[in-house]
Amino acid sequence: MSEQETVAGKAPGAAMGAGHLARLSALRDYMLIGILAAIWLFFSIATDGIFLTPRNLVLLALQTSIVSLAAISAVLLIVTRNFDLSVGSAVALVGVVLAVLAGSLDVSPLIAVPAAILAGMLMGAWQGYWVTKVGVSSFIVTLAGMLYFRGFSMIATNGATIASLPRPITKFATGFLPPIPSAVIILGALLAYGALRWFELERARQLGVIANLQSALMRALAPAVIAAAAALLIASWQGIPYLVLLVAVCAIGAEVVMRRTRYGAQLYAIGGNPEAARLSGIDIKRAIFWNFVIAGFFYGVTGVVLTARVGGAVAGSAGLFLELDAIAAAVIGGTALSGGRGRVLGALVGALLMGSLNNGMSLMNVAPFYQDTARGVVLLLAVALDHLGRRSSRSAR
Amino acid sequence: MTATVAPDSHHVAPVAASGAAVVSARGITKEFPGVVAVDNLSLSIAPGEILALLGQNGAGKSTFIQILAGVHRGYRGEIALDGKPYHPASVAEAEAAGVALVPQEVNVAPDLTVAENMYLNAEPTRFGLLDRPLMLARARRVLEDFGLAVDPAAAMGSLDLSTQQLVIIARALSKNARLLILDEPTAALTEAEARRLFERMRALTARGVAIIFVTHRLPEVFAVSNRIVIMRDGRICGSYATGEVSRDTVVAQMVGGVRTSIALAGQQPGAVALEATDLTVADPADPTRLRVDRVSLQAAHGEILGLFGLLGAGCIEAALALYGAWPGKVSGRIALDGRDVTITNPTEAVALGMGLMAQDRRDCLLPEHSVLDNALLASLGAITHRGFLDIGAGQRRAQEFVRLLDIKAPSIETLVGTLSGGNQQKVQVARWLIADARILILVDPTRGVDVGARAEIKRVWSTLRADGRAIVIASTDAEELVDVCDRVLVFRRGAIAGELLRAELSEETLLRMATDV
Repeated sequence: MSEQETVAGKAPGAAMGAGHLARLSALRDYMLIGILAAIWLFFSIATDGIFLTPRNLVLLALQTSIVSLAAISAVLLIVTRNFDLSVGSAVALVGVVLAVLAGSLDVSPLIAVPAAILAGMLMGAWQGYWVTKVGVSSFIVTLAGMLYFRGFSMIATNGATIASLPRPITKFATGFLPPIPSAVIILGALLAYGALRWFELERARQLGVIANLQSALMRALAPAVIAAAAALLIASWQGIPYLVLLVAVCAIGAEVVMRRTRYGAQLYAIGGNPEAARLSGIDIKRAIFWNFVIAGFFYGVTGVVLTARVGGAVAGSAGLFLELDAIAAAVIGGTALSGGRGRVLGALVGALLMGSLNNGMSLMNVAPFYQDTARGVVLLLAVALDHLGRRSSRSAR
Repeated sequence: MTATVAPDSHHVAPVAASGAAVVSARGITKEFPGVVAVDNLSLSIAPGEILALLGQNGAGKSTFIQILAGVHRGYRGEIALDGKPYHPASVAEAEAAGVALVPQEVNVAPDLTVAENMYLNAEPTRFGLLDRPLMLARARRVLEDFGLAVDPAAAMGSLDLSTQQLVIIARALSKNARLLILDEPTAALTEAEARRLFERMRALTARGVAIIFVTHRLPEVFAVSNRIVIMRDGRICGSYATGEVSRDTVVAQMVGGVRTSIALAGQQPGAVALEATDLTVADPADPTRLRVDRVSLQAAHGEILGLFGLLGAGCIEAALALYGAWPGKVSGRIALDGRDVTITNPTEAVALGMGLMAQDRRDCLLPEHSVLDNALLASLGAITHRGFLDIGAGQRRAQEFVRLLDIKAPSIETLVGTLSGGNQQKVQVARWLIADARILILVDPTRGVDVGARAEIKRVWSTLRADGRAIVIASTDAEELVDVCDRVLVFRRGAIAGELLRAELSEETLLRMATDV
């Protein structure tokens, strides 16, 4: 076999393998959307169309918002092979901080809310310290956190509910941005996204990375246009809830950090192969410490939102099992527990999928026990399907 | 496997060997708890020089090059890069200064794209955000320069191991390094790929880059290097211009005077132990592509049968298929001691008295577990008494074989991961002796094992052979087979290209038969 033959003969095979993999991963994304669509179709029929009314979809978005926020930070951590079991308890403790400051002590919300978020970040930094400086596995550190954060909340409130939040806070949780400004924001976001993609793809074309600008742009924009159209339809009812806007801002922020900054690339590298990451000079401990601080920021935001939505801090039950819902949403959305793979947007779809099951079954008056059972089965099937798809793509190399 | 490169290769004269050294290290000493890994070592390398760094495992080569590449800190001694003091605190710092290391293990993040892997932690940014188009464009240019037709947007995990390694090497070559360090770069490469790499290395030296090249393959050393430096026990024990030294001298220096040669007792092979007829092995991804096409072979008790071929020729695939460990479709008839059997997975193979020692020792060993645990892994059933493990019996057996095989471990409780490559290999042998496997399948068994330990392991095999066990060694390394096999079947493109008996065996003949020439 001559040298030319070997090298040339190998290359098309390698390229083909790659294309195959790309197709599979695209297929996977579509599969997730397909499952969601099937579930929506089922509920729409089973509830005589109530499920798909803008009113119910807004409700669904609101119900999903808390899990979505937690799922975003779950993706960031799981991508680096870290777990966070403390989310639910940490969120409850943040709620207590907010309620004590803004409710009992009458501190202005402008100070109380940032203080609560800062408290969340400190909790995240505290856990990051134990994981990176002391070297305890994140599973254990956050399992412990789950216990003592809940414990502190109970101690601080003596187990009682603090329900005297100032109006601006509760109003944020229940309020809507009116339809006209909502439409402007949706269209503006779509335009901005389109412009950024255009800039990037045009640059790619100039650099010779892609051949056809138009088709690449079409492929990039089609899902965004569909999403924007759906958002406009839903917003036509009463506008967009502020909460949903907040989730969108957090998700876009996280997506940009993960996909478009060096820090995000480092997180994927650490999860994908820690040794390769270390040898390329990445400071793994520092990156993971900040990973936990970001998770802490999300404790803060989620805690504030949850407390505002419920109208008070319920130390005993606020955020109970939220960490598990968040991990489930992330995993359904394609995040690998083995690290190095996962998308924020996938986790949002995962959260929406789980939320749809709850919402739809509630509309159908299914008893809560059955709801948990159904969600458990969906989680298992979704992850099993992912695993099977991945195995076939791996053996295809 | 690159022996054929040697004759036609011309040695590139160092461009400026007389000029100032790129790197000069003086009095480097690095201690790890209990070991002096590098002992007062001084070495300098000139621009345009290819320096082959040789030595057995544990000689200190890896530690030394890792110090140069910024992996280790806490050493004594002085290093200068282009005449200026150079003490990198991290790999990134070393790379920024112009020293790039390609480690022996291909460390990639399989879910990231090729381009992302190439620019790990060196991603181009624009306005503070990643500039993905630029990253892809740069990656593509580097790959094209290197003659690799790989899509930079493909997932790294979709490439095969040797392509991944070539990508990582291409990445290092692209870094404008003053000193490039390659640690066993050809271990996973085919002959043609290795030759391509050597061409690139020569092209780089023409631009004044200095290269340190660590390998266990002597033919490569003589094919590309200008200077050979041999390390033993953390020190340099020999330094030669490549043209002025013989292979025997180099080997003698590496092993420290111990000559390696295996005398096989002139015994007649016994009855046929393993017979495969029309063995056909399909590619796991593409069942229509046959990796092995209707191959028939026999191995007798008391015989060491070699299966030789270049990477992808089918010898490794055939060996794994015999053991039931090949992931794709396998057909054909397999008979053990004349009895037809079906082996669809390793559990069945072990139950039938077979044992496997695989290519990558880490595939077969639990590095975080003790010698004891590893040695007993294939015989847990046999030492189970009324549902419980008979630890005492297990310890006795393990102890017995540690002594018999002369495994150099402080105790049977020592973690296998801390042993040298040769001793790890012997722990695998102990495992199958305890399980009393009569047929042993070895896949590239001495890959990454140093010369001295190789000879000793080969002696262990010859005692297994004298025991009447059948041994099948599948290898892509001719050197591994020539002095131990009774018989070698040479694979070429999935079929058997020929058979050589012990008297006719030589690296040159094997390679000639394997390469269509």
